[in-house]
Amino acid sequence: MSAESDSPTSVLLELTGLSRSFGETRALVSASLAVKPGEIHALAGENGSGKTTLIKVLSGVLRADSGELRWAGRLARFPNPASAQSAGISTVFQETLVAPELSVRDNIVLGTDGVFRHRRTARDERLVAAQALNELGLEGLDLNRALWTLSLAERQIVTIARAIIRPWQLLILDEGTSALDTTQRDRLFAYLRRARAEGRSVLFTSHRMDEVAQLADTVSVLRLGETVARLAMAETSPRQVLVLMAGRRSVDRALAASEHPRVEPHPVAREGTRVPVLRIQDLALRRGASTMALAVDRGEILGLAGLEGQGQVDLAECVCGLQRPASGAVLIADGSGTWRAVRNFGDANRRGIAYVPRDRKQEGLFFSLSTLDNFSLTLMRELNHIGVIRPSVVRLRYGEYAELLHLKVRHSSDPVGTLSGGNQQKVLLARWLSTRPQILVLNDPLRGVDANTKEELYQLFRKLAADGLAIVLVSTEILELLTLCDRIAVFHDGGLQAVLPAARTTDTDVVAAMFGHAIESSPGG
Amino acid sequence: MTGRAIGVLGTVLDRSSYAVAPTVVAVGLFIANAVVQPSFIDSSNWASTLAVSSPFVLTALAQAPPLLSGNGGLDLSVGPFAGFITVFVAAVLVPAGLGAPEVLIPLVIGFGLAAGGVNGVLIAYVRLPPIIATLGTYLFYSGISTYVLPSPGGVVPAWLIKLDGSYGPVPGIWIVFAVVTAGWMLLSRTAFLRNLLAVGGDERAAYTAGMNTAMVKLWAYALAGMLAALAGLLLAGVIQSGDATIGPGYTLTSIAAVALGGISLAGGRGGLLGAAMGGAVLYLVQNLLTVAHVSVFQLDIADGLLLIAALALNGALERLRKRGGGSGAHRVIAEATVAVAGSL
Repeated sequence: MSAESDSPTSVLLELTGLSRSFGETRALVSASLAVKPGEIHALAGENGSGKTTLIKVLSGVLRADSGELRWAGRLARFPNPASAQSAGISTVFQETLVAPELSVRDNIVLGTDGVFRHRRTARDERLVAAQALNELGLEGLDLNRALWTLSLAERQIVTIARAIIRPWQLLILDEGTSALDTTQRDRLFAYLRRARAEGRSVLFTSHRMDEVAQLADTVSVLRLGETVARLAMAETSPRQVLVLMAGRRSVDRALAASEHPRVEPHPVAREGTRVPVLRIQDLALRRGASTMALAVDRGEILGLAGLEGQGQVDLAECVCGLQRPASGAVLIADGSGTWRAVRNFGDANRRGIAYVPRDRKQEGLFFSLSTLDNFSLTLMRELNHIGVIRPSVVRLRYGEYAELLHLKVRHSSDPVGTLSGGNQQKVLLARWLSTRPQILVLNDPLRGVDANTKEELYQLFRKLAADGLAIVLVSTEILELLTLCDRIAVFHDGGLQAVLPAARTTDTDVVAAMFGHAIESSPGG
Repeated sequence: MTGRAIGVLGTVLDRSSYAVAPTVVAVGLFIANAVVQPSFIDSSNWASTLAVSSPFVLTALAQAPPLLSGNGGLDLSVGPFAGFITVFVAAVLVPAGLGAPEVLIPLVIGFGLAAGGVNGVLIAYVRLPPIIATLGTYLFYSGISTYVLPSPGGVVPAWLIKLDGSYGPVPGIWIVFAVVTAGWMLLSRTAFLRNLLAVGGDERAAYTAGMNTAMVKLWAYALAGMLAALAGLLLAGVIQSGDATIGPGYTLTSIAAVALGGISLAGGRGGLLGAAMGGAVLYLVQNLLTVAHVSVFQLDIADGLLLIAALALNGALERLRKRGGGSGAHRVIAEATVAVAGSL
């Protein structure tokens, strides 16, 4: 472990020997951390390494079982979030926590008032909220809009705004960029660098190695609840960090996935036959928008890309029947070879389309139900025999998919809310894969998932595609799209801007298309 | 109207957009009542009409904060507690010489806050499920009322009975409503309502943002207790005695009233205006049916059907609202009203 010698006054936050268990699970065994003033510090670790627990202890949400916390040189304890905040620690949690019925302004100033007493006048609240949103790139957002009308990325920005309006010395971002698009991320990074220049510090976690390399001055690596390294970013490389995160396992593949776009020939194309399973015909997402036409073949992985809200998610939802296009249709081949339009979600399901949503908390999993229950939800109709379901049959099926996805949980009867983010995503995937779909639609499925799990799932998607599954994948990570997809459909302004063959495309091309610049391919290609 | 006033009105109306439906229904029922029974709007009857309706409205107002606090929040004890207050006033306080308004009113209010506070502690700090905690206090107040005053009786001070009538042209009860409205306006200028809606919307979000969510919940139940106590005080004036049996019925009507008032039973959406309108609607329906010579027993059936209809309508409007992306009829009406106000 290499670290410069830290005199007490030069360290803003120091943690030593932190431990925390949840029943049998030891989330933190002996974690340590040292953050200096004017430093951007990355906290790296796989799902299950204890990162989120550490952050919750720092934020006053959880109490540590043992260990020492020193803030500005003095011993401190944070029994609740308010105490951490008054000390100067502001946190943006991994879950996007908002009050859905309240306005943007209300959500930004949430928690700053006393039980009765307003902290700021209404005018000041509006000023401060607008200022924060400006910094983060959401200038035009109406402060009176109710939160539930906002997209996931906008909600995340609101939670970041909430954190930055307080006077903070340490800003903690737990996967704070997971839902943001490229522009929004850049604005945030610019803000963080400005804050660093003022002598404030940032502690952030991210599964994107490029972000860690770009932003961090120092990186601390957690593995299985212990701090295994603390390194200056200049003295290490993403590869080394991944090695430290994973332990003895080989990380070459994970590294390759995160650094270089990998090119693999379209498996079905290799055989020379293309069998379309999905047709998008004369489809316009909104009245007056340009129409698009696209076909997806058996065994193809099609990526849908674009800046926030440009139509890629809307198209994905039209494909699985959650949304009705303004004109045109999504057609699926019947068994008999005729093409019929998708009518609604249930119809799409029955005809072999599965959809894995983006927000697993709101749209995917039932947190209080067990892993097994969450998994078997979609199998109820298939597995029931005169209304009775045999638990052994369910468990058997679960075992199959747990193996396929390398999903290891303590007890499948535990509530799914206790699982790490990556494992939760696997449960959701297992649920839909068990319906044996012919088309799998994924909306940002690997958000907040660690690099090694990501690599596992990449392999899985390729295998499924090779076996004939057509995959439509919405993603905000360009590298992911280039690595995984055969073609990338880029959306701009509610319409299809370009369809790019991944093998012959660079990330610059994709970004250019996202901003509306025409490239070689034209829509419909 | 000044720009600032319009701004305030706009915010109040938008937040109150959920209350548009019950208010419209209340006005409609008022007209229906007046048509069926012309003496309904006779000024000499107003005072007593308002007085009889006040326990409905006040217990509905009492039920609102616990419901808004979400997470299964509700207060089953409002009815029996109001009944207990009638007993407490008529059989304990007045005979002890504490019947003067400047003594009795603060005592009752203080007692209501304290009793509500007990509910609040059980729910926010001891972490009992609200339905269990308030069921316990429901039974407690039912029992203790009957113990203290086994059959209706006691002494109710003259000034309280007089509220039933008029001070000159002004029905006494208007003073009560004016005070309650003033109280509500004061409350809406604090951060409390917003905090309450946040706790009801997503308690974890509020807590991790640094809010003292336990204290907010405690105050929600304390306010419920205070309003239920006021309901009890006015009830004592209406029946002119203490009565241990009259309270419990108000619990269910208070829940029906808040549902009618457009308050989400899951918490996080709604407010006191809707609750008041819901209480008014409930009372007006009962009055209409009574005038139409519907028997007392059938009134319960009517209440039940109203409750089901209210919940169904509530749910349907919610779905419509979400599908419309937030720009529903409510907003249009709110904005139109603000526009009209601006031209005044």
